[in-house]
Amino acid sequence: MHSPLRSSILCAVLIVLSCSFAAGQAAPRQPGEIAWAIHYDPKTFDPAKVDEQASELVRYLTGGVLLRLNRQTQQPEPQLAQSFRISPEGTLIVFKLRAGLRFSDGAALTSADVAWSLRRVLDPATHAVVAEEFLSPAAVAIETPDALTVRVHLPTRIIGVEKIFDEIAIEPANRPSEGRVTSGPFTVADYKRGQYVRLSRNRNYWRHDAAGVQLPYATGVRLDILNNREQEISLFLRGEYDLIDTLPAEYFGIVAQKSSSAVHDLGASLNTEQMWFNQSPAAPLPEFEKAWFRNRSFRVAVSEAIHRADLARIAYNGHATPAFGFISPANAQWHSSSLKIPPESIADANRMLTAAGFHRSGNQLYDATGHAVKFSILTNAGNPARQKMAAMIQQDLAQIGMQVTIVALDFPALIERLMHKQDYDVCLLGVSNAEPDPSSMMNMWLSSSPNHQWNPSQKTPATEWEAEIDRQMQLQASSATQRIRKQAVNRVQQIVADQQPFVYLVYPNVLQAVSPQLRGVQSSILSPGPAWNIDSIRREQDRPRRGAL
Amino acid sequence: MKRRIALVALLLLIAGAALALRWSPVDYAAQDRDATMAPSSAQHWTGTDELGRDRTVRVAAALLIGLAGATAAAALTTAIAGCFGVAAAFSPAWAAAVLMFLSDVFLSLPWLFLLMMARSLLPLTASPLETAVATFVVLAALGWPACARVLYRGALSLRTAEWMIQGHACGLRTRQLVRMHLLPHLRSLLLPQFLVCVPAFIVAEANLGALGLGVGEPLPSWGSMLLELDNSALLARSHWVYLPIALLVIVLLTLESFSAEGETHA
Repeated sequence: MHSPLRSSILCAVLIVLSCSFAAGQAAPRQPGEIAWAIHYDPKTFDPAKVDEQASELVRYLTGGVLLRLNRQTQQPEPQLAQSFRISPEGTLIVFKLRAGLRFSDGAALTSADVAWSLRRVLDPATHAVVAEEFLSPAAVAIETPDALTVRVHLPTRIIGVEKIFDEIAIEPANRPSEGRVTSGPFTVADYKRGQYVRLSRNRNYWRHDAAGVQLPYATGVRLDILNNREQEISLFLRGEYDLIDTLPAEYFGIVAQKSSSAVHDLGASLNTEQMWFNQSPAAPLPEFEKAWFRNRSFRVAVSEAIHRADLARIAYNGHATPAFGFISPANAQWHSSSLKIPPESIADANRMLTAAGFHRSGNQLYDATGHAVKFSILTNAGNPARQKMAAMIQQDLAQIGMQVTIVALDFPALIERLMHKQDYDVCLLGVSNAEPDPSSMMNMWLSSSPNHQWNPSQKTPATEWEAEIDRQMQLQASSATQRIRKQAVNRVQQIVADQQPFVYLVYPNVLQAVSPQLRGVQSSILSPGPAWNIDSIRREQDRPRRGAL
Repeated sequence: MKRRIALVALLLLIAGAALALRWSPVDYAAQDRDATMAPSSAQHWTGTDELGRDRTVRVAAALLIGLAGATAAAALTTAIAGCFGVAAAFSPAWAAAVLMFLSDVFLSLPWLFLLMMARSLLPLTASPLETAVATFVVLAALGWPACARVLYRGALSLRTAEWMIQGHACGLRTRQLVRMHLLPHLRSLLLPQFLVCVPAFIVAEANLGALGLGVGEPLPSWGSMLLELDNSALLARSHWVYLPIALLVIVLLTLESFSAEGETHA
C-alpha cells in the first residue's frame, strides 16, 4: 500500500524546496526591451476605468496626458499641452495643445480628442474613479474654441486641480482602444493572462530629447505578472528584470550583497503603518472594552509603551523610520516639524493609566470595574513585517500589564470584520499615500467617511476633537491660501498626536532596485517609482555576464 | 528492529526537547532585541530568530506541542471514526448507506478551506494555547471520514464472524459484544489509523501555520517556524533556520516507521 505518510513527508519537503529554491523563468526579452514584474493582472486596459495599481501602471506607461506631475519636483509639467493657465478664481483652466500631435496609429490628436476623453471620464456611466476628484463632475464643462485649445470650466476651485490631469489619458475621440492606440510613450502590444503584458514603442510619440532623438529610447516594456517576491528577486539578480519598484526590507541586504549599486534606500515613504482601537458604537464589543478604547489616556499610554525604533530596526531591518504622525517627513511641504508627541516612556504610560483608574495586580492590568485588560491585535496574514511588529508590540504592552493576543487573518476575512461587522479590538495595517497633498487623505479624516477607520460613517462627529479635525480638513481643502492650508494641516497633525486615534508606528522606507544596465533612471518616492520617466530610460545593449550583477 | 530504533529516536527527541525547555533560562516568548538572528553561542545554542527569541527553546516547544496536539487529535479522530464505522456496520443496510454517504460528503469537502474558515471563526481574544487546542480539535473534527470508511469495512466483516454469532447466541448484549469481542479485534485496524493520523495532523498544522492561520503567537509551532524558510534572506544569514524542517522530517520518518509496522500487523 502506498503510504499517505510518504505523501505527507514529500509535501513538507516540497514546501521547503519551493520556498528555498524558487526561481522561475521570465519570458524571453526582446532587444531594447525593459522588463520588470507586477504582482497581479491588470483588471482593465481602459485608461478611464482604472481603479487599481497594475492598471494604473499600464495607463501611466501608455497614456498621453495634458500635464504630468514631475515625481522629483512634485510640480506639474506640460506634456500634450504646450502650456496651461488657471484663472485667478480657479474655475477656468485653459490648455494650449502642442502642434502636430499624433496618436500611435498616425491619426492627428486635436482638442476634440481631449474634450472627448475628458467628457468620457466625467460621464457617470464610465465609473471613472478619477472623476470624483473634480468634486462635482456633472458640473464641469468643456469647450474647444479651436483645434489646439481646450477650456475646462469648474463649478468651484479645486486645490491641486492640475494633478488630476496627470491621471486622464487622452484617447482618440469615439475610438476607445484599451491602450492599443495611445498618445503616450508605449502601446499595449500583447497580453497573456497570468504571464505578461507587453508594451511596444509608440513611433508617433511627441517627445524628443535634447539631441532631437525621438523618445522613448526603449523599444518596449514587458511587465511580467509574478506574485512571488523570491522569484522576482532571483530574476532581477540574474539580469532578467531591470527594476524592482518596492523591494521588501528583508531582501534589501541580499540584493545589496550581490550588487550594492543596484539598490537604493530613498528614506521614509509617504506610507504609514499604524494601529487603531475600535471606537465604533456599533462594534459588538463589551461596553467596558469600548470604554478603554474611547479613553484618551489608555490610547496615549499604549502609544508611549511602544518602542518604535525597535520596530523599524527589527521588523524592517532598519529600512523604516519611526512614525508619530500621518504625514511623513518625506512630505516636506506638509510635515509638521513642531509636532508635540507623547514621550516613549513606560513610567509615564503607567502613570497615565493609574490616573485613568486602571490598576496593576501582579503582571496584569485591571480597569476600575475589575476587568483584566486583554485585547487582540488583528492584522493580515502573509505580511511578515506586520506580524513581527505585532509580536513586538505584544511584548511592549506586556510591560504595562496589557495582555495582547495576535490574530492574523487572510485579507477577505479581515476586511469582513473591519468594514462590515466591525468585530475587532485593535487593527494593525498600513495606509498607502500616493499623493503628498493632504486633500487626498480627506476620506480617512472626515468623520462621515466610511474610511474613517476607528469610528466610520458618523452622522455627527462623536467627539469635539473629531469635529475639529473635520473643520480643519475642510478648511485646508477649500482655502486658496497655502499658509492657511498649512496651518490647518498642522492643527490636524497635533490633534492626532494628542488623541492617538491612530497609533502611528513606522514609515516604511522606499526601497528600489535598479539594474546597473539602465541609464536615465531618476528615482522617486512617488508611484511609479524608478519608472516615472520611462520615456527617458534606456538599457545598455551589452548584456551583463551571468552573475555579473 | 526498525520500530525500536524509531521509538528510541522519538523518545530521545522528546526527552531532549523537554530538557531544553526545563533547563533553558529564557522563555520561548522572550525577545532579546539586541541579539536578533544571533549565531549559535553558549547562551543560545542554535542562535536566535528574527525577534531575538531563543531558537532551541522554540523548536523544543514546537516539537512537544506538535506531537502532543497531533497525538491527541489523532486519538480523537480515531475514536470518532471508530464510533461512526461501528455504528454503520451494526445498523440496518439503509442506515449504513446514509451514514457512509454522510462520511463521503464530509470527505469531499475542501478541508483546507474549512480549516481556514473554522480558524477564522475563533474568538479574536482566544489565547495562544486556546488557538493551539482549537487548531487540533478542528483537525480531529475534519479528519475522521477516511478512517471511518476503513473501520466500517472492518467492523462489517467482524459482524458476521462465527464468534460474534456465538456471542449473540450466548445472550451477550451489543455493548458487551462491542467491548469484549469487537474492539479487541478492531485494534489491528484502529492502531494503524491512529498512527497514520499523527503525522498527517502534524503536517496539516504546519500547513495552516505556514499560512499564518495556525497556533497563535508567541506560542511556537512547526508552521510558524517553517515560515522562516519562505525568506531566502534569512536562509543566507543562518543555517539554523533549517533546524525546524530537519526535525520535522525526522519526526515524520520515525512516525512512519510506526505506522508501517502497524500496517504490517494489520
